Amino acid sequence: MRGRERIAIAISIVIFVLLLSLVLTAGGLGYILPPPKIRDIPLIYLIRSYWPFSKYFTVMSPEVVTSIVWDFRGLDTLFETVVFYLAIIASIAVMRGIFSSKKEVDLAKLGMSPIVKTVTKITIGMILAVAASIALHGHLTPGGGFQGGATAAVVSLVMLVVFSKYYLETHGVSKNSMLVIRSLGLLGVGLTAFIVVIIGLLNGVNAYVFQNQPKIVADVGMPVTIGGALISGTLWFFNLFEMFAVAAGFTIIFLLLAIPEKEVLEQLKKEVAGE
Amino acid sequence: MSDASQYVFILQYLFTILIMSMFVNLGIALYGVLARPSLIKKIIALTILSDTANTFAIIVGYRMWPSPESPVLPPVLTNLTASKLRIFKFAASAVDPLPQALVLTAIVIGLAVTLFLVFLTLQAYRLYGTTDVRKIAKLRG
Repeated sequence: MRGRERIAIAISIVIFVLLLSLVLTAGGLGYILPPPKIRDIPLIYLIRSYWPFSKYFTVMSPEVVTSIVWDFRGLDTLFETVVFYLAIIASIAVMRGIFSSKKEVDLAKLGMSPIVKTVTKITIGMILAVAASIALHGHLTPGGGFQGGATAAVVSLVMLVVFSKYYLETHGVSKNSMLVIRSLGLLGVGLTAFIVVIIGLLNGVNAYVFQNQPKIVADVGMPVTIGGALISGTLWFFNLFEMFAVAAGFTIIFLLLAIPEKEVLEQLKKEVAGE
Repeated sequence: MSDASQYVFILQYLFTILIMSMFVNLGIALYGVLARPSLIKKIIALTILSDTANTFAIIVGYRMWPSPESPVLPPVLTNLTASKLRIFKFAASAVDPLPQALVLTAIVIGLAVTLFLVFLTLQAYRLYGTTDVRKIAKLRG
């Protein structure tokens, strides 16, 4: 395709968008989309998310998005976590049988200059503090377990670039240890989903999976505050465990992508040859 | 036509342009997924597709709240001292939180799927030395 034709196509798309928008704005479609009554649905969430006057109809979290994610539509998020977990397991399965060589390397010589290494050592603590703040305040301010975990995974990415992969692996951040942390995090998410059921069984009361605060037919629930600090029942625990699971999962992916291409190709050739 | 109504019309026009360009963006992304032969370009187009769809969902949340008089607030209650009036006022001015929660879920799943696709493409490139689907389709065994 020549340059002039491309420019003509781009200009015609822009004109099409502008004219069609003008027609739609002037009422060419004839009715409003979406219908105005759709505002009634978010009103329920917005009011019921933090409603301390009746303990049966609320999440007790001022952050409405987190209370939807982990309480109102909690099962969605549970299966989303499962999909994320399975995708990482599938990625590991694609890379099965490929290991980075454990040859002796001089760790001090690898990576970037001492200045960069020192600055990175200082900033890593700050990044982890921000990640913990995002995740553990997820029920109070925008943020949550996934965002906090993604921020914490930046640490492993920075360390991979600055210190090298071998430095991480000699200091305990290997694929298998991260897999253990990830599985424990997912186990924690699963346990938190069932904890009110367990409390209900111990007390002989009805309870639901993914229940947080008491309901009318299931009068048990998680405490709203611990020592005067608002934790919104299960939301704090979900965010904590999800942070560990996501951070460890991303670290696994970065470690797998950081294996030198030469070593991967050598091992793949052996595998194809049937050795 | 008074000044105020003209203002609202221009706002709505800009809003509609935004939505229509998103539809065009969806079309371009679909073209990339369907027509480009390179797997990497397909993945890039797929991320553009999912990002556009997510932005579209967020925009739908703001759709019934473009009133110039009341500013849109994020869906976070900042004052925890209990007062029914304050909570109702907050609910009346906050943006729709449901699309944001759904988009959060969609971003995570999209990321997971993209990661898996990247690994598959990488492995295909390592084994066959190409990311061109026309060449990969002709491989046997």
